[in-house]
Parts: sequence; C-alpha cells; structure tokens
Amino acid sequence: MNQTSGSVSESTVSIFPSEDIILKVRDLHTYFFTDIGVARALNGVNFDIPRGKVMGMVGESGCGKSVTALSIMRMVARPGKIVKGDITMFRKKKGADGKEPAEEINLTKLEGMGPVMRSLRGAEMSMIFQEPMTSLNPSYTIGDQIMEAIILHQKVDEVEAEKRAVTILDGVGMANPKLVVKRYPHELSGGMRQRAMISLALSCTPSVLFADEPTTALDVTTEAQILDVMRDLQARINMTIVFITHNLGVVAQMCDYVSVMYLGRIVEQATVDDTFYNPKHPYTSSLLSSIPHVGTSQKERLMPIRGVVPDPYSKINGCPFHPRCDQAIPGTCDVYMPGLTKVGESHTVRCFLHSDAVEESNAQ
Amino acid sequence: MLSEIQNLNRDELLLEVTDLKKYFAIRRGTIRRSKGLVKAVDGVNLFVKKGETLGLVGESGCGKTTTGRTILRLLEPTGGEIKFNDPEMGWVNLEKLDRKGLSAVRPHMQIIFQDPFSSLDPRMTVERIIAEPLAINKVARGEQLHDRITELLRTVGMRPEYRSRYPHAFSGGQRQRIGIARALALNPTLIICDEPVSALDVSIQAQVLNLLEDLQRDLALTYIFVAHDLSVVEHISDRVAVMYVGRLVELAATDKLYYSPKHPYTEALMSAVPKPDPRRRDRPIKLPGEVASPANPPSGCYFHPRCRYVKDICSKETPPLIEVEPLHFSACHFATELKLRGVMG
Repeated sequence: MNQTSGSVSESTVSIFPSEDIILKVRDLHTYFFTDIGVARALNGVNFDIPRGKVMGMVGESGCGKSVTALSIMRMVARPGKIVKGDITMFRKKKGADGKEPAEEINLTKLEGMGPVMRSLRGAEMSMIFQEPMTSLNPSYTIGDQIMEAIILHQKVDEVEAEKRAVTILDGVGMANPKLVVKRYPHELSGGMRQRAMISLALSCTPSVLFADEPTTALDVTTEAQILDVMRDLQARINMTIVFITHNLGVVAQMCDYVSVMYLGRIVEQATVDDTFYNPKHPYTSSLLSSIPHVGTSQKERLMPIRGVVPDPYSKINGCPFHPRCDQAIPGTCDVYMPGLTKVGESHTVRCFLHSDAVEESNAQ
Repeated sequence: MLSEIQNLNRDELLLEVTDLKKYFAIRRGTIRRSKGLVKAVDGVNLFVKKGETLGLVGESGCGKTTTGRTILRLLEPTGGEIKFNDPEMGWVNLEKLDRKGLSAVRPHMQIIFQDPFSSLDPRMTVERIIAEPLAINKVARGEQLHDRITELLRTVGMRPEYRSRYPHAFSGGQRQRIGIARALALNPTLIICDEPVSALDVSIQAQVLNLLEDLQRDLALTYIFVAHDLSVVEHISDRVAVMYVGRLVELAATDKLYYSPKHPYTEALMSAVPKPDPRRRDRPIKLPGEVASPANPPSGCYFHPRCRYVKDICSKETPPLIEVEPLHFSACHFATELKLRGVMG
C-alpha cells in the first residue's frame, strides 16, 4: 500500500488550478477541550475553495461543517482551539483587474482577535447563521447593525452608511428598505430577518461568504426567495459562497462543488453533478438514499444509514465510517485510515474501495 | 361538504371535520380587553379514511398544528363539528363531549410532538413516561404494566433495558421513539403526528419514517401527518391537505396534488421545493409579499394578493372548497380553468 504522511500530498488534494483558489485548508485540526474530555471536531480537514463558486458542505450534525467555517473565520471560541494545520487565503485587491497575483495570508498564523483578522472578518469574509433571531442583536435597529460594519470597514459617515444600508437591503429584495432600517429584529418576519442577516453579512461585499444553514428555519416559499437572492448576488459580484446545509435539495440547486464531511474529515469532494450521479464514497451514497426524493412518486422504503454518528470523544480505528458501512472490508477498513485519492478530474475520495492509499494516521 | 361527495362510504371513514374554527382573542391593556381575533383555523373541512395517512401542509402560522390539536380537543374549538368513528362507540361528536365523555374516547386518539426534547419530562424515567397513559386510564398495573412497557419499547425498536434511564441519556431519534411508544400505549386508532421528524437529522428521519410506516401496517393506525417538508409528506401520505391562513385550499390524493394541483398556492409550494437533482434547476414561481396575517386577512380569497392568476372576483368573493375532480377538492374560483404545473414542472 502507498503510504502518504499525515500531511497529504498536494497533487491529491487539489482539484482546482492554483490560480482559481481563494482558500486553502490543510490538515486542519480543531479540538474542544471540555470537562469530560477532548472532542476532536476536526481531524485533518484538507480542501480548497475555488474563487467565485458555490461550495456545498454536507454531512450529519456534528460532522464538523460549522466548525470548519468557524475555524476559517477564526471564530472558534474557548474551549475550542485550532491545534494544528494551515489555512491560507489568497486575497485579491478589490477593484483590480483580477490579473494581479493574489496576496497570500496564512490565517492560522494570525491572532484570532488581532487587528489583521478583524480587518478581514466582515470585509473579506463573512458569515450568515441559521437562526436570524439569535444572531441579530435585539436591542439595535437593523440599520444600526448594518451601518456598524460599514462604518468600521469603509470609513464613511453615518449619513452615507445609512444610504448604503438601504441600498443593500433593497438589493436582497427587502420591501420598504427605508422603513426597515428603523426597525428592530423582533418586528420582522423570519424571511425578512434572514434578508437583514444577509445584508449585514454583505455590507462590505466580502469575497467569501459562509452560509451556515441559512434557510433551514424558513418555509419553502421563503427559502426559495432567499436562495434566489443569494444566486443573484453570487452572479453579480462573483462572490465565493461556502454553503453549509444538510438539505440535499438545496445543495443540488445551489452548489457547483460539494464536500461531504464525516466525523471531522472530508470524505469526498466532487462537482455537484458527480456527487449526485456518480458518488464514490459509501457515506455519500447512503446520505442520498436516506432522503425522500420529491417528485419521484416513490413509495419504496427509505434506506437509513445504520447506527448513529459516534460521539467525537471516542476513538475509532481505521476509517471512521467503517462501523456503519455495508461495504467495509474486514482487516482493512477497521485497521487503516484511507488516504485522500483522486478518482476523477475534480473528484477526490477517501475510501479503500477506490484506492489502497493509506494515510498514516496522526493523533486519532 | 361530505353530503355532496359521491362514492364515499361513511363506514370507511374515521374522522369527519366540518367547518372547524379556532379563534384566539388578541388581548391588550391592563384589563386584557379583546382587541380582535386571530382566526387560526377558519372553517376547515376534511375527512380521514381508516388506515390512511393524511398529510397536512402549509407554511408556518397557517394553522396546521392548531387544526391537529383542535381535532383532539387539546384546544377548545370555537365552532364546527368533529365527528370521530370510535371503534367501540361508533360515531361521536367530539366537540359536544364533556370531560368524562372525552376520557372514554381519548385512548383512541393520540399525538406525537415535534420536539423530542421538550415533549418528554426530564425528571421522569422512560418507564414512567410510557406508564403514565396506562396508569391514568387504569389499563394495566404491576407485572402486566411492566410487560406492556417491555413490549412497547420493543415495538419502537428500543432495548427494554433502557426503561430506567432518563430522556437526557438518549439521542433525538431515540427520544422520538419514546414519544411514539407513549402514543402507542393505549392502542390508539388515530395518531396526529405533529412534525415528528423535522427536528431530526436526515439519516435519523429515515429511521423514524420507516418505523411510522411499519407501525401503521402492523397496528392498522391512521395518521394525520402535519409537516412543512413536502418531500417527507409526499413519501408518507396517501392524501394531502394544503392550508393557507387558517383555511384549506386543496385536498387530494398525494399524486394528484403533487403532479396536477388545482390551486395556485399549491402550484407555488411545489415549485419552491428544492429538488435534489442538480440537472433540474428551475427557478421557482415567485410569490410576492408575505403570508397574510390571520389577525387581519385580505378580502375574498386570502391568497389573492400573491396569486399570479388573480382576477376581480378573487378579492370580492371567498371561493368555497369544491370537488373539482372525483375526490379532488380546491378552493379557487378558477380551479377547473387553470392549467397548473405540478412538482415536476
């Protein structure tokens, strides 16, 4: 078997030409040091995010989707800590013609709450959360909250900031934006709150937007409106969106690429078409067959994934999915950790069914 | 409504709801004077056949949960009739029953709640949670009670050894199984499933949906399945009712409703469902504005301000729920004329 070291070789991880990459994540480990033990939320996440595309991140609760986003944003709060790995951002100057070489910034080397990180958060990368009610401040108006970010990053006065806030709200399809800036979050409906949240995240036209389950709390009709807004914005300002969700319908409709996570690792990365029509990892296939597909008139039984996600405190030998996998190879999958392997032009997978590459497992 | 329907054998029905209303008063000020009414459920007509699953869908605030709870009389109806075909007593009017009468019928009607975390008392063991309905109705005690709990836990796929544990020791999916065991304790015929899987992870959803299907087959249960996830509803339901602002707008067999809807609101809902297929990316029908408020609904058809087929009559007259095709009901003035798109576009 081919042995690759803990830090995987570049050629197997990278499925995009290097000039298209905006964020590069290598061997990222984020642990939570809690009273009952160390929860290994991320166990070596390796992936690239292509510029101007929508990357979906899917997986069951607790697989590390949100922690990946928070780690990149450097917003992991205690007792969580990035213990290992590199996150590199390739920043291009705004307004430049795009041909200039990008500036390379190693985010893991920066102070999480330091000045550089603070200048990047909000301006270069931004995040929207699942629950707009808990992520907006109830004691400030919508306008105040959007203007705060604008004033902080763009050095304009209040009058100009309010003007820009109204323009942004209008851009996300908010009715009566001039009135809404004076409103408090509790005065808005769920859909309007999520639009306000998106406006806040977009106030400084970030190059990367992390959308963490942005439509999960919404009704389908409102969800459709919000997805529409995000698609338009993405096309208009060529924003990179990392779309975290467990709704595979939303993934199919929104994303260009998909990263499937399981227990703190990316187990498969592919184009959205390959993910749905040519999945390689048994976990990806099981996820797809466990959901009812609308419009197929299917009445056959759903195929749930056996068992439950193991808790992040436990230690599993070999491939972390093997106890739930129907195709696990005894003596291999329960002993060795599969390495990330290229199985197509932009398709990587971590599974012994497709390659015998072993990752010399660290820590776990 | 029912009297007009042909080809419907009344003996096959389990539940018949006529013009059901549930209004909540809006109270303001120190003396809590009533300042208006929220018409959460405003004239709902529906029927449920024995052994079927009726899906009840609509956006949040449309009154689907209130409808379910009012049918069980967990909420007192403001008006209307709820007729239940009790396996022992035959047809009874639930809205007329007093406390004693209700407690005789209640064992046959149960509910499963959405949130498996708040619907189980954290200070009761699994055993006590499931024993409660059995004890209250004096069905079983002692050895017999113990055996019944063992049986119920096995039925929902849990190990009987877990009986002395507390809810916090279980995952969301397992808690939902405990909730289902409690609902099954008294051998009900009708179970109202109020968003039973929406708080669960996708892979766990499949397990619980399969369990509900198995139980229905084995125990001849009838479900009213309240949910907002249209893919789940399509999968589990035989027929589906769509609600909008307290009213039923469409009621039909699942395939009819999904593939040839007869109400513009249903059409919009179907087009909004994100299809799990990257090769089918259609832009959904845009619904302008927000859902109408049940405290201050628009005139005529409640959906008219957002409807793309709106005509003059829509803002003036309320369309009644009529049978457009055999057993396909729609509350739209133009239900027979419009050519509407189904979920496949």
